[in-house]
Amino acid sequence: MIRLEDVHLAFGDNTVLDGVSLEVPPACIYALIGPGAAGKSVLFKVVAGLLRPASGKVFVDDEELGPLNEIELARVRKKIGMLFQNYALFDMNVAENIAFPLRRLFDLSEEEIAERVAERLERVALPGTEHRIPQSMSGGQKKRIGVARATIARPPIVLYDEPTAGLDPVTSQKIYDLVQEEQRAQDTTVMVISSDVAGVLTIADRVGMLHEGRLIFDGTTDDAKASTDPAVRQFVHGLTEGPL
Amino acid sequence: MGAPAAPVGVLLALPQRVGAFLLALATQIGGVTILLGQILRRLNPARIDRHELFRNLNRMGVRSVPIISATAAFTGGIMVVQAAPFVEQFNAKGFIGWAATFTTFRELGPLLIGLIFNGRVGANNTAELGTMQVTDQVDALRALAIDPIAYLVVPRVLAMISMMVVLTILGDAIALGGAMLTADLLLDVDPRIFWASAIERLETWDFFVGLIKSLLFGVMIALMSCYYGLATRGGAPGVGRAVNASVVASAAGVFIADYFSTFVLD
Ligand SMILES: Nc1ncnc2c1ncn2[C@@H]1O[C@H](COP(=O)(O)OP(=O)(O)OP(=O)(O)O)[C@@H](O)[C@H]1O
Ligand SMILES: [Mg+2]
Repeated sequence: MIRLEDVHLAFGDNTVLDGVSLEVPPACIYALIGPGAAGKSVLFKVVAGLLRPASGKVFVDDEELGPLNEIELARVRKKIGMLFQNYALFDMNVAENIAFPLRRLFDLSEEEIAERVAERLERVALPGTEHRIPQSMSGGQKKRIGVARATIARPPIVLYDEPTAGLDPVTSQKIYDLVQEEQRAQDTTVMVISSDVAGVLTIADRVGMLHEGRLIFDGTTDDAKASTDPAVRQFVHGLTEGPL
Repeated sequence: MGAPAAPVGVLLALPQRVGAFLLALATQIGGVTILLGQILRRLNPARIDRHELFRNLNRMGVRSVPIISATAAFTGGIMVVQAAPFVEQFNAKGFIGWAATFTTFRELGPLLIGLIFNGRVGANNTAELGTMQVTDQVDALRALAIDPIAYLVVPRVLAMISMMVVLTILGDAIALGGAMLTADLLLDVDPRIFWASAIERLETWDFFVGLIKSLLFGVMIALMSCYYGLATRGGAPGVGRAVNASVVASAAGVFIADYFSTFVLD
């Protein structure tokens, strides 16, 4: 469960989150959509406790993040797997990148680690790339390695920031299938940011639309498709005419 | 903007700039002090990532040996070349060994090695931490419940400080070798006379003054380069600016530390 209550956050005089309240129920896929610079990535960092809001409350599994110090936050973050918009892969080979959370969180044998890394790479359609260096790979490949790293430790909450950016339609669908299958299999709580609105709505249970730091829509996927709000309508249906 | 505004603007520009500069300076000194506090807290009790420490000792220290050696050897030689006319004029061959050792241990060794270390290791460190910062890798570590100060900063700072001292000892030795060789070739000073004059007049303290200085320089470079690296904002251009600021600030820090420690340690 993830809950935000009236969250405000600004960088200098650039107000990025202007009173955002939302709730992601357990075992739900929540799609967060909205135009560029709406504050979507910032909202993810607030949920993971990487940025502290100026005011408002953030709850992860009924625990409020506000009063926690870095060490206590670390405990909460162990429940969260996160895919960063710009990959955030480390300067080490693919296998080491993906195995990183496993090594930090569990005490597994090298064989077990190698096995789980290979299984992840298979799932993101990049088998056999263990020894490559992420810096030498394409944007779409790096995204998928990020997906593998975010999910290898099977965290109960996963945040995907643009998991299908830079992917062809077929690979995109594979990633969406992966997100959905794993969410269903383990009842994880998932938030997905995506610019591919039509694609992400095929797997989402609920949708939130962020616009200029405010959540202008929050409801089920069907409600989103049927919304009469001009901005939501325009964004969900990809129209060129409208307020955006 | 009307015409009368211009002279006022010009008049205000200078105090404004001075004010902005002082504010930025205060921010940076404050930031470095906070970082120092965070590092010290993680040293007691010591929570050090051994793997990261050894990795950094190797790439910051061992890999700096060639450049430090080359510079030190030439510096030792140049010192004697510069002194040669006076040595001949005053027939001071019996002093050249002592003069070379004294200047190397006390001043030239730590200072030159500090500046090279700043250019090679400090700059590289800022670039690396800065890149990690702007590509969200630092946040990715935090998201994986890893403390970036303990994991990234502490091993680097320890490696830089200890390697700065070790490289100074090495550089001192090589510089003296260069000086001895040049004195022999250029001034016909027998190496035995060179060493005899050094050993006769030199005090152990002269050597330790240099080591204390190198330790201080190491602290300066380590703190500054980590601070500017982690404070990087604004993508790849931001990394360039951070490296520049870090190298300048560290060099200034080294000279200030040198100036004051020379007084205190005398
Ligand atoms: N670390 C930061 N420092 C200063 N400003 C920031 C920082 N991170 C984000 N911002 C600003 O916050 C605003 C929202 O950024 P954010 O990355 O959340 O947008 P987004 O909705 O994810 O957009 P996109 O779809 O393009 O990824 C932007 O105006 C951005 O400039
Ligand atoms: Mg974003």
